[in-house]
Amino acid sequence: MKFDGTDLYAALIHELKNDLGLLSMTIDGIPRQGETEHDATVDAAQLLCQSVVDRLQQALLIYRTIDQPIRPAIDAWSPQDAVHEIRDRAAALARGRIRVEAALTPDVPEIWFFDRDLVEMALINAIHNSLAHARSTLRIEASMTDGCLALTVRDDSPGYPQHILASAAANVPCRSKGTGLGLQFSRLIAHSHDNQGRRGELRLHNDQGAVFCLLLP
Amino acid sequence: MPLDSSVNPAPGRASDAFIDYSALRALVVEDYPGMRNALRLSLNNFGITRVQQAANAAEAIYQVKQKPYDFILCDFNLGEGRDGQQLLEELRHSHLISLGTVFMMVTAESYYEKVVATAELAPDDYMIKPFSPEILRSRLESVLLRKRAFREAYRHFHAQELDAAIAACDFLIQDKPKYLVDAMRFKGELLVALGRFEEAEALYQKVIALRAIPWARLGLSRALHLQGKDEAAEVELRDVMEQAPGMVAAYDLLSDVCLAKKDARAAQEALEQGVAISGRTVRRQQKLGEIAHTNGDLETASTAFANVLEKGRHSIFVTPGDFGNLCRVQLEQGDLKGAADTLKKNKSALQASPEGQLVMAVTQGRVQVGCGNLKEAAKAVEAAAALRASGTRGDANLMLDMAGICMASDRQDEADSIVAEVARNAHDSEVLLARARKIYDDAGRTDAGTAVLALATADVRKLNNEGVVLAHRGDFRAAVDTLLTACAEAPHNPRIMMNAVWVILKYIDQAGLDENMIEAARRYLGEAERLAPGHARLAGLRLQLKAVENRFGIQRKSSA
Repeated sequence: MKFDGTDLYAALIHELKNDLGLLSMTIDGIPRQGETEHDATVDAAQLLCQSVVDRLQQALLIYRTIDQPIRPAIDAWSPQDAVHEIRDRAAALARGRIRVEAALTPDVPEIWFFDRDLVEMALINAIHNSLAHARSTLRIEASMTDGCLALTVRDDSPGYPQHILASAAANVPCRSKGTGLGLQFSRLIAHSHDNQGRRGELRLHNDQGAVFCLLLP
Repeated sequence: MPLDSSVNPAPGRASDAFIDYSALRALVVEDYPGMRNALRLSLNNFGITRVQQAANAAEAIYQVKQKPYDFILCDFNLGEGRDGQQLLEELRHSHLISLGTVFMMVTAESYYEKVVATAELAPDDYMIKPFSPEILRSRLESVLLRKRAFREAYRHFHAQELDAAIAACDFLIQDKPKYLVDAMRFKGELLVALGRFEEAEALYQKVIALRAIPWARLGLSRALHLQGKDEAAEVELRDVMEQAPGMVAAYDLLSDVCLAKKDARAAQEALEQGVAISGRTVRRQQKLGEIAHTNGDLETASTAFANVLEKGRHSIFVTPGDFGNLCRVQLEQGDLKGAADTLKKNKSALQASPEGQLVMAVTQGRVQVGCGNLKEAAKAVEAAAALRASGTRGDANLMLDMAGICMASDRQDEADSIVAEVARNAHDSEVLLARARKIYDDAGRTDAGTAVLALATADVRKLNNEGVVLAHRGDFRAAVDTLLTACAEAPHNPRIMMNAVWVILKYIDQAGLDENMIEAARRYLGEAERLAPGHARLAGLRLQLKAVENRFGIQRKSSA
């Protein structure tokens, strides 16, 4: 096989991501000892490892959008299943350190049309942010807003810094550290969802913490 | 594992949502031992203790034959040999797993699109590597609950009670909004299988009204094509290809639509695009080879036929005829050495079956005829004739090849008898009859060819037509006799077999059960299904046979 420069990087990232995936499973296999210092260190290693895996996955996807737009594979999915799946995932990452809640408003339909894997990637990204900054609680919600399915991750952190909110509002890419890249990625995913001309959106604001909201038409 | 109480399922949840993981039998298929073990441990962690492991597709098939599994977790990339998708196709095609078995594919994201968008036969769900155990558990639970909701529909489907399966889908469409789209999708497939294409069209329109999901648009195109509305089907297909260019099944269907419109060039082009996206599917390459061959594009045909052998090295869908196809094109290209090399390279595979031996003998004969080595050619023809005398047959094209070398080595009677046999079994195939005529023309025996073909097809056509006329007159007994004679004359002719099955069922309907006859109907229907898979009449006949069996209380072991 022959690589040109960028393909080589993509292949490398891919390899590293898979190795990290195995590392993460290995860390999972370390028994807890009921001893705070030990267990907390293992938890921290696990969380960090997972967050690197998730970020590499994003990096690969963003890399691919250089050549071609994201093409979501839209199908009918259950918002309830998606919320529960993300909740279980967040709870496993939080390991009891942060409380994880999930809620659906009654008007959320049984099925909605979206690309489950892309949407979950975006939400997991928000969850990593919240786990890093939340004080005690993280909440995943599904509701209906402006005729769209709104999937929200909300926490009790000090909230998004002003420059991020400003760039989100102005819809310009924000290339500060990890957070900026992740948000840009989430916005790409939201935008790739289109229903008869109506495009998805990423909305960020602060309301007793950071609120990350994907609107899916 | 300490878990926050808020993540445990609410107590007292309805029992229909309870899943007893300890009762599940799981199979993990993964070539990398470290990963295989990690997956097993993950499954153990959420209570699945009965986990078997397989390192490749062959091991998986062996295990599945030993005992049934409820859940198969399979990596897409299995190293050498078949990949996960080929394994799934083989398991479903050979009825080794039922629709009740959960098949989940694990894929690296670089293969993600292949699994999600390009597979005609989709897994129940898929996981992108690396994934966390919670996501696996959550998705498995969703699929298991879905399978539970579809239990009645699947049961009827496996018992070939398609109308009842549709009724079960209608119930889900009415009562279970969560499964609305899944039930519509399954119902669409059932309607197509029953030949109810107009209803299928309306159903897919309903799905599209909810959202223009690519698979629904593909379904709509297929329903249109099957009603002969090929213009509309093509418009829809070309449009859906823009929306989802990776959906390779659309190219396959487009090629069928183009063939129906007698545009073989466009059909080839569509398949070439499909192959460019996913060249691993043996049947796509086979079809491309055949169409390119008909189009006289030998270059493309030989590449495609070579790919069939290359990609299908481990596939059950590759037959000795595929070796014959490649050799035939190589010979037409004047590449005698290439054809000889193909034989040499695949000698052990070909020698394993009589049909393979026939391919070898016929091709060797053609190579020798091409080299002007008539003595060697005669030896090969001798071997081929011995195989044929003991009952070995190849596909129609191979048999015509054989007729050609028989003529070249002055065995005109054998040649005529082969051509007559091919013609009887394909009395309505213009392409084959034209090729047979050309063999006679090339040998300077045009008149003899016309006579042989006229005689062979006339008998079968006459018997077939008589049988059908008798049946329409209501004289089913005589119709059965006539068509069974036709079947004996043309033992590999699927059209005649289907007609025979049809009149047998009519006769039993009128005169009551006749064990021998119903057995004959079963045999001919099975044979027709093998010879003409997917023919539009088959599903209907299958249902009528089932209805007759039910009426006379015949219990047959249901498959899977």
